[in-house]
This record gives sequence, C-alpha cells and structure tokens, in this order.
Amino acid sequence: MLEMQGVTAGYEGVPVLRDVSVNVGRGELVGLLGANNAGKSTLINVISGIVPIMSGRLMFDGEDISRVGAQRRVELGLVQVPEGRHVFPQMSVRENLLLGGYNRKARPERGANMDHVVSLFPRLGERLGQLAGTLSGGEQQMVAIGRGLMAGARVLMLDEPSLGLSPLFVQFIFEIIDKLHAEGMTILLVEQNLSLTVRHADRCYVLERGVVAVEGASATVADDPRTRAAYLGM
Amino acid sequence: MRWTNFSRRSCRGFFVGSAYGLLALGMGLVYGVSGIVNFAHGDFVSLGMYLCFALFTAFALDPYVSVIFTVPIMIALGALVYRFLIKPIAGRQLLMVIQLTLGVALLIQNGLMMAFGGQPTRAPSMIESKLFLVGDVVIRGAHLVACIVSFALAILLYVMLQSTDTGRAIRAVQQEPRAAALMGVDVGRVQVMTFAIGVGLLAIAAALLLPGLPIQPTQGLRFTVITLLVFVLGGMTNFVAIMLGGIVIGVAEAIGTIYMTHTLGQLLPYLIFVAIMLFRPQGLVWRS
Repeated sequence: MLEMQGVTAGYEGVPVLRDVSVNVGRGELVGLLGANNAGKSTLINVISGIVPIMSGRLMFDGEDISRVGAQRRVELGLVQVPEGRHVFPQMSVRENLLLGGYNRKARPERGANMDHVVSLFPRLGERLGQLAGTLSGGEQQMVAIGRGLMAGARVLMLDEPSLGLSPLFVQFIFEIIDKLHAEGMTILLVEQNLSLTVRHADRCYVLERGVVAVEGASATVADDPRTRAAYLGM
Repeated sequence: MRWTNFSRRSCRGFFVGSAYGLLALGMGLVYGVSGIVNFAHGDFVSLGMYLCFALFTAFALDPYVSVIFTVPIMIALGALVYRFLIKPIAGRQLLMVIQLTLGVALLIQNGLMMAFGGQPTRAPSMIESKLFLVGDVVIRGAHLVACIVSFALAILLYVMLQSTDTGRAIRAVQQEPRAAALMGVDVGRVQVMTFAIGVGLLAIAAALLLPGLPIQPTQGLRFTVITLLVFVLGGMTNFVAIMLGGIVIGVAEAIGTIYMTHTLGQLLPYLIFVAIMLFRPQGLVWRS
C-alpha cells in the first residue's frame, strides 16, 4: 500500500536517511525501531511530505507521491500523530477532534468519525468540553490519536505514542493500537521500546544511523543479534 | 458644568477607544498567527483614510460608503504585502521584521505625501454633524457609529474564530503550527489570510475614525503607537482585554486634556500605560 523505494532524504542537503526501502501492506501493523537519532521521525516526516526526498521514490496505492504536497497527503489518508502529542492546548477536546477532520475529504465524515473516536476513547467523550492543555499526558495522547482518526487516516503513523506515559497508559494505548489493527487500519508505529513493539507489530524495521539494519517478522527481528547492535550503536 | 464635561469626555473616550480596540484586534490577530508586530499598522490606517478621501474628492462618496471599496482594496494589499515582503523574512530575526515593516510605513507615508501633499485635509461625512443628547451628555453620531461597529466587528471576529472551521484553523496555527500542518491546514495560507483580514479591519477602522478628524500623511505613527499600547495592555492575544485596553486608552486620552494642559494631557495614556505595565505586566485581564 505504502512503499518507500531507496529513499535518501534529510535537512538542508544533509542526508539523514540513506537508501531506505520500507513497505507497509494494507491492514498491516509495521513497527519502526531504532535508537535516538536513527532517523525514525525523519522517515515518517518524509512520508508526511515535511522532509523533501533527495533521491528514490515514495509510492502510495501504486502512485508516485514523491512530489505531492503535505496537505494533499493528509487528504489521501497519510496521517501522522506527532511525537510529543502536540494537541492544541487552548482548544477543547471537541475542537481538537473537529480540527483533525479539517481536510476536505474528512470534513463530511466528521460526525461518524467522532462517534468512532468516542467509542474508542470513552474518556474523551466525558471531556469533550475540557481544554486539551489541561488533560493528563495519556489523555492528550488519546486526543492526538483521535485527531488522526478524524482526519480520515488510511495509514496511521504513530510517532512514539508511549513516550512519557505511565505504564498503565502505555498498556491502554497499545490495546487501542491492537484494536485499530483488528479493525483493519494500516499502522506504521515508530517506537524505541523494542519488546513492546515486537509483541504487537506484524513486521518490523530497525533503523541504525539512517539505514535499515534489520527487517522481517517481529519475532525474527527480536532475536536478531544485529537488532541489539543497532540499539547499542555497535 | 465640570461634571458634564467629564462625562461627555468619558463617553467620547469610550466610543473612540472601542475603535482603538478594533485597531489592536487586527494587530493581535496577526501577531498570534505569524509572530509579527507590524510597525506599518498605523500607516495602513492612514492609507485607508486617504483612500476614503480620494473617493470623496473624486465621487463625493461618504467615507462610510467608501468602505465597500476600501476594504477589498486593503485586503488585497495586505495579502500582497504579506506574501511578497513579510513572508520571505518571517521567522528570522525580530529586528529584521521590525525594520521591514518600518520601511513599509515610510513607503506609505511618503507615497501619500506625493499623492496628496503634506497639508492637513478632511473627508467629511454627512453623519458628522449629527448630535444626540442623552441627559446632559452630547454624543456625536460618528462616535456612536464607531463604537457600535467596532463592538459588532469584535463580536463577529470572536464568533468566527470560535465556531467556524477557518477560525479554528487560525487558532490551531496560533497554538501549534506544526500539528496544524499535519492535520492538513495550509499554514502559509492561514498566515496570508489573517494578515489580509487584519489590514481589511484597518480599512473599516479608518472610516470609523475619519469623520471630524483632520488627516495628514505623517499621522500613521501616532496610530501605530496607540495600537501598540492597546495591544500590549490587552495581553497581546486576548480579545476581551484588547477591547478593554482600547477603552482605557481612549478614555485616558479624552480626559487627560480636561484636567491638564494640552501637551501634558496627551501624555496621560502613556502614563497609564507605564503604570499598568509596572503593576500588571501580564496585561489587564489574565488567563489561567
């Protein structure tokens, strides 16, 4: 469904990713692992169209979208839930969700999507009128994911959704990820937490300093000694 | 007699102050979305006034009617200025942006001087001489119109920001521009649009302040300074506080000249501003 073919990309002419090929099939839950600065966030920012591609191609539904603008990619259903959540603090939960459905494609379906989000996160349903900035970190993560779903995501890219959350909330967020996966959502999950990710994802990629070091089914990636090496930077 | 004078002045200050509030709302809107303080703000007001003046001399149009033409012209101008002058250097050093907008201010000022000459002039409105009597207080029609329109626009703007998709997008860009972009909001377009709306508001404010006011090309800076006072007093992005700040400055300006000599009286708004900044640096109304 989503295919990155030999992509080199980075900031201001300095490549962060070098010749990276990653593909995500329809309905798959794919984990993207690696230490800090391995290029994980850069990779999903390339998919979101925020970081330009220097060489290689990005294919979505069989079409080359390498040159398609960031806004249009959201309309296509490539939606990123950013690291650190970045909810709109001075807006209510409801407004955050409504803004998630801002793009042209998602706007007519906001009602139905809102119902879906509230059924996934009943806690948000109770707090629709509350300012998002006053929520706990875990609740903000729910808003951020909810906002992504409101945007009509066909591929949901989650950047470190467990970051800074209590173990209980991490567990809850991963249950939600499993649930979305079971509903058929295609998910690209960026995580540092190796053991948690391999337990939930179908397949994984391990990035090391901008190149794919290991790839394959979650179990084999977990057992591969190179995975550990990538994390320890050896 | 003394008391009547006081209440008459206060009323006048309140009415004119609400138009100052409108000026500052435009500044607050732009600042919130783009982080830019526009030092050509007052000169855009000037430009709006001279556009009214030009339409008056050419077609004998009343300034209130001219708004139909001046608002679209100023909106288009605002969009062009933002797109081609401000955007390329936005986000760079603050001083560069200040210098640029000061440059735009001088450009407008001297352009007006070239086109209309330096001597003060006026663009009269038919409503200008209308007076109302409420108790002992005489109210000028033009001031009443300024007040009503300013508040109506402030409320309209508030409702637009609170409950439309465009308004939400504007606030989203204010609060988290990166996340807004990830949700498919065209951040650049929102910035151009708010700047254009801000300048369009100035076209309306210009027409509201115009009746009875002699205008000259160099007056822009005075409006910029008043706007800055109100804008800072209002805590920069808080709408209610900005309108309140406008009224404080308007009343201070109007009352100052009764009890003190003319020049000293004109200092009163600044003295009040300094006092408020000393004791309430967060602005008049604070938020949790």
